[in-house]
Amino acid sequence: MSLSDLVLSLADNKQMLGLRYAEWATRAPSLEADIAAAAMGLDDLGHSRVLYGCLEPLGVDPRGPERESDPASLRNLAYFDDPWTEWSQFVAANAILDTAFTVMIEACVGGSVDVLQQRLRKMLLEERYHFLHGRSWLRSGIDTEPLLRAWREAIEWFEGKLSLGPAELRARLEERLEMKPPPVTSDWKGWDPIRRRARPGSIDAHTFGMLRGLEEKKYAPPTAKQAAPRA
Amino acid sequence: MKYQRVSGDAVEYEVFARKTRVEPLHQVGSVVAPDDDLAMAYARATYDEERWCEMAIVRKDDVIRLWSPGEA
Repeated sequence: MSLSDLVLSLADNKQMLGLRYAEWATRAPSLEADIAAAAMGLDDLGHSRVLYGCLEPLGVDPRGPERESDPASLRNLAYFDDPWTEWSQFVAANAILDTAFTVMIEACVGGSVDVLQQRLRKMLLEERYHFLHGRSWLRSGIDTEPLLRAWREAIEWFEGKLSLGPAELRARLEERLEMKPPPVTSDWKGWDPIRRRARPGSIDAHTFGMLRGLEEKKYAPPTAKQAAPRA
Repeated sequence: MKYQRVSGDAVEYEVFARKTRVEPLHQVGSVVAPDDDLAMAYARATYDEERWCEMAIVRKDDVIRLWSPGEA
């Protein structure tokens, strides 16, 4: 696991988190929450672009051609594989997973790699409001299942050899959220050190097509295919 | 009866902002939220279209009015 692998994991997860947030921009419990979902989605999609842009200066870009055809080559957590059907899933991701990514970004900003120190700092300012949003909704109470799942996947994502150990990252997350994780058990035999997750699987076909720009073709009128190029 | 956006535990907050240090804060809108944290997140998300140098929120109930429209 190189630093580039970690940055790519962060980038892929931020991209999927942004997309899943955006899917709730018209389904959240209030108009304000709709707008916050859209704004946080934009933030995280922007963060993913910055993170992808850090790969070249880091000297190693782990992205291969398989990312064009195999959704399982993306390094997102299983939590983002499918669209969320319940607001509780949104809240658990917002409070726990988004904050877990922020804890890692803080570690990068406080680290010794110049490009990460400089480019990731602004994310922390924006993430402050994601955190306030997630924590407030979390305190109002959510279902147990997404809460357990988000904690389990955050703990699995922290695993591995990093400058900060998993225990320290987990302690920072607990301190930030002012709560201990519920008892969760992970299937460490299935843990993938590159994707930083224990469950196999990948994002749904629609989302993968959207990421590759293929879904847009469905919206083109049939006549568009016959249209002659302009002189 | 006067129209109110709030219901239940929700509170209405007025949002103030300014673009430069030399101009005064002015009201840019309002948000409804059950607590201060969420109100901050909502205000930032809703009124993020400008590059404000300062933004603040105030509970509408905490504003002390000297007079209202039509009373002056």
